[in-house]
Amino acid sequence: MTEATEVNPFYRTIKPTGNYDVRETEEDVLTLARARAREAFRQFDTIAVMFSGGKDSTCVLHVALETAEEVGRLPLKVCFYDEEAIPYQTEEYVREVAGWPGVDLEWWCLPVKHRNACSRRSPWWYPWAPEAEPLWVRPLPPEAITPEDAPWCDWSPGARLDTVTATPLRFDPETFGSVGLMMGIRAQESLRRRRVLSRTSAENYVQGGFRNVRNVYPIYDWRTTDVWAAPRKFGWSYNRAYDAMDKAGMAPHSQRCSPAFGEEPLERFWTYQCCFPEIWGKMTARVPGAAAAGRYARTELWGYGGLPPKREGETWMEFVRRMVEKWDEPERSVIAARIKQMIGQHYRKTSDPILSTAMHPFTGVSWTYLARLAFRGDLKGRKTPNMGHGHDDRAWKKYRELLAVEGRRGGQT
Amino acid sequence: MSVQDQPLWAVGWEKRGVLKANNYNPNLVAPPELELLKLSILESGWTQPIVALEDGEIVDGFHRWTVAEDPEVAALTGGLVPVVRLRGVTREHQIAATIRHNRARGVHAVLKMADIVSMLIDEHGVAPERVEAMLGMDFEEVDRLSDASGMPARAGAGEFGKGWTPDV
Repeated sequence: MTEATEVNPFYRTIKPTGNYDVRETEEDVLTLARARAREAFRQFDTIAVMFSGGKDSTCVLHVALETAEEVGRLPLKVCFYDEEAIPYQTEEYVREVAGWPGVDLEWWCLPVKHRNACSRRSPWWYPWAPEAEPLWVRPLPPEAITPEDAPWCDWSPGARLDTVTATPLRFDPETFGSVGLMMGIRAQESLRRRRVLSRTSAENYVQGGFRNVRNVYPIYDWRTTDVWAAPRKFGWSYNRAYDAMDKAGMAPHSQRCSPAFGEEPLERFWTYQCCFPEIWGKMTARVPGAAAAGRYARTELWGYGGLPPKREGETWMEFVRRMVEKWDEPERSVIAARIKQMIGQHYRKTSDPILSTAMHPFTGVSWTYLARLAFRGDLKGRKTPNMGHGHDDRAWKKYRELLAVEGRRGGQT
Repeated sequence: MSVQDQPLWAVGWEKRGVLKANNYNPNLVAPPELELLKLSILESGWTQPIVALEDGEIVDGFHRWTVAEDPEVAALTGGLVPVVRLRGVTREHQIAATIRHNRARGVHAVLKMADIVSMLIDEHGVAPERVEAMLGMDFEEVDRLSDASGMPARAGAGEFGKGWTPDV
């Protein structure tokens, strides 16, 4: 399974609609990443690497560090969000990196807002939140930059921002000028990321951001085999948490070392139990729902694979509404709006009905898809329907066959 | 309370047939683990009794009871199994006791398991195939646990692949 994904670049196996076509280059990914880093140093007054201790940002860090030296821009600013419930191997690796010559590392132990998909009652959690200190999963690292040292944000409970919003505030234009935040985001990680990265022509690797700050993705086209080729070829040190995940049987492309509290990461939540038991033991007391999610995240209780049964006589719309109503406000409204938006998007593209299980080849929407989204929540708006199967004959065949059964009222009952 | 009051004080050897399964046990044991349980009893002998009510309904140990049917296991004790009885237990306490017996259990930390597998192979000279049989593991598990090469060698390509840019 893994092998096949690795050998065939994603864009060849699944051909999306025309807008997202890509062209293979002559150069290898390392040469390209270096060129992108050089260009970023040329464009921005400040370059900072957003380092997680993970395999992808390790590659970005090496490329950036090497380029910074080449263009005389050392020391290199490196920022690390310590997400509290992280393996000790990650802490050790980040500490090692902080000691490298030329690295100026900021170790952030800040209560940014993170999704907690373990619990409907507590859908967010805040690492290193001062009010939760007795429950902290790890002792505060001595290098920590805590809310008192981080005046760029209001860290009081109620005012806390997510990382995407909070990070640019660190870099005020007066001090830092234009800022490029280098990140290890890769197109291979998800269809959604691939779409974003294939969208624009020139400099597709510089995107988003806020005010004077933009994101730079120098390794967007690296595959997992490339990410590991680098430490293999150059003998780099790496985060040993990956060895634990590998031994536990996780495929290289599913290994992550960030805490697995989000909707999709929750499916690998159980691995914390055997890979990082000392972290796991504390997590269950720290984050509401963690113990239960560890047991059941891969079952229908958490909407994995299946869903709770639809009741006799209940229409799909009623079923989806019932799933939405399991949430409290404000999340309930967010999820309801997201579902409304997807239904709207479907009918703007086509007048074909939404069917129970077969997705519509153009819009990727089916009632089951919407129900699962309602059940699991999609508070970051990350879930993208599987669009772009408009030329996929098999998808059309499935849709037409089910349409013949369910009719124009499309699985309403 | 004294040791005489503990159920284990009165462990008895009884015919397997006097016990019966309960109808609610959510604990499922896959065939490889059932084989391992059999091996465990054959090699170490009976070390844990089956827990049952006065009428013979099993509270804990359904799978020990299951493998006791195996001729090799039965031959160890002439078909007898060790039983302790819980007395005066209501239905809800019986069910809760079953769950607790199964849930109050840990998970093996993977790096410690890796150390153990490597130690068996490297220091005690046990062949990997023997480790598979002794610990109820398949080839993949022993292979991963005993592999000290690390992720770059396991997952990294020898050379970098080609890159790509949007085709506009």
